[in-house]
Amino acid sequence: MKLAIDETRCKGCNLCTKVCPYKIFSEGKRLNRKGIALPELDRPERCANCRLQKLYGRQLCGVCQLTCPDQAIHWIDEEPYELHKVAIEY
Amino acid sequence: MSYEDWYRQDRLPHIFCAGCGNGTIINCTLAAIEQMDWKKEDTVFVSGIGCSSRAPGYILTDSLHTTHGRAIAFATGVKMANPDLHVVVFTGDGDMAAIGGNHFIHACRRNIDLTVICMNNQIYGMTGGQGSPTTPKGCLSSTTPFGCAETPFDLCELATAAGANYVSRWTSYHVKELEKAVKVGLETPGFSFIEALVQCPTAFGRRNKFRQVADHVEYLRSHSLLKAKRDRMLENGEHIPEDMYIVGEITRRKRPAMGVKP
Repeated sequence: MKLAIDETRCKGCNLCTKVCPYKIFSEGKRLNRKGIALPELDRPERCANCRLQKLYGRQLCGVCQLTCPDQAIHWIDEEPYELHKVAIEY
Repeated sequence: MSYEDWYRQDRLPHIFCAGCGNGTIINCTLAAIEQMDWKKEDTVFVSGIGCSSRAPGYILTDSLHTTHGRAIAFATGVKMANPDLHVVVFTGDGDMAAIGGNHFIHACRRNIDLTVICMNNQIYGMTGGQGSPTTPKGCLSSTTPFGCAETPFDLCELATAAGANYVSRWTSYHVKELEKAVKVGLETPGFSFIEALVQCPTAFGRRNKFRQVADHVEYLRSHSLLKAKRDRMLENGEHIPEDMYIVGEITRRKRPAMGVKP
């Protein structure tokens, strides 16, 4: 699972930066096309729901999603990691 | 399934201002309803007029957007006409406490099986920041430019005195607790009233030194006092500051309810 912010919905209130226990969200600096500074994600793989939702089979934490007044935060499924060949040059 | 499925995805993003707490309360309510295993066809959302009352427009079920202050009156009619329906009322402080105050206390008295969620932003947000019956003492609004001199309504005490079966109060910071409180309210037969204090950066915060949304949420967090702790402080004879909001489950009792199928 991967944490994602919906760019079309976020209004830049930065409430998510206050509630996340891992402090994953931080205030954004760059404005997008609508003139809104989206929060930046700092190492989102630390999120408890990203790591453990598959294992527990239920929603964990999820405070950022509940708090987000604009329903912009969600989790998307990721492709499982596949092994691939790496050519090593000597 | 998650509560996201209850939203009308084509209507989002909603029209609430950036940082408005109403979206948080809708999230919590829908998360609680999601746990109830209700069908969308059997659930009705009713609302009056105001910022908070735009909420049912973003939900996929049947809904009524009614006249100012009369949301509970319409909801009573819906529930009496078909007691099988689950009726949830979204309302605001200006809608429910000011113009609809009479309907509110009589719904409490009848103890009809409704769940009322009041998003209390302590001001008339939609019409330009006029003082509402819940504006705290000393707060500025466009009709009280020198500070509100009147004592605000304590809606939870009002509902308890009028006879509601379940009353609780939380803020928009306490999302998990609010979700649980709404779930208990939905399960309780009879009138259940949940007051949710929300931040309003546009109308309230701008005039009252809460320009940043986070400042207002932090204020709500630091000025909420759990009811159990309040009772303990009263026992020990400690002084309770006047600007604290009592949060938690205020009342739970089993008065005979109306509109419940035996």
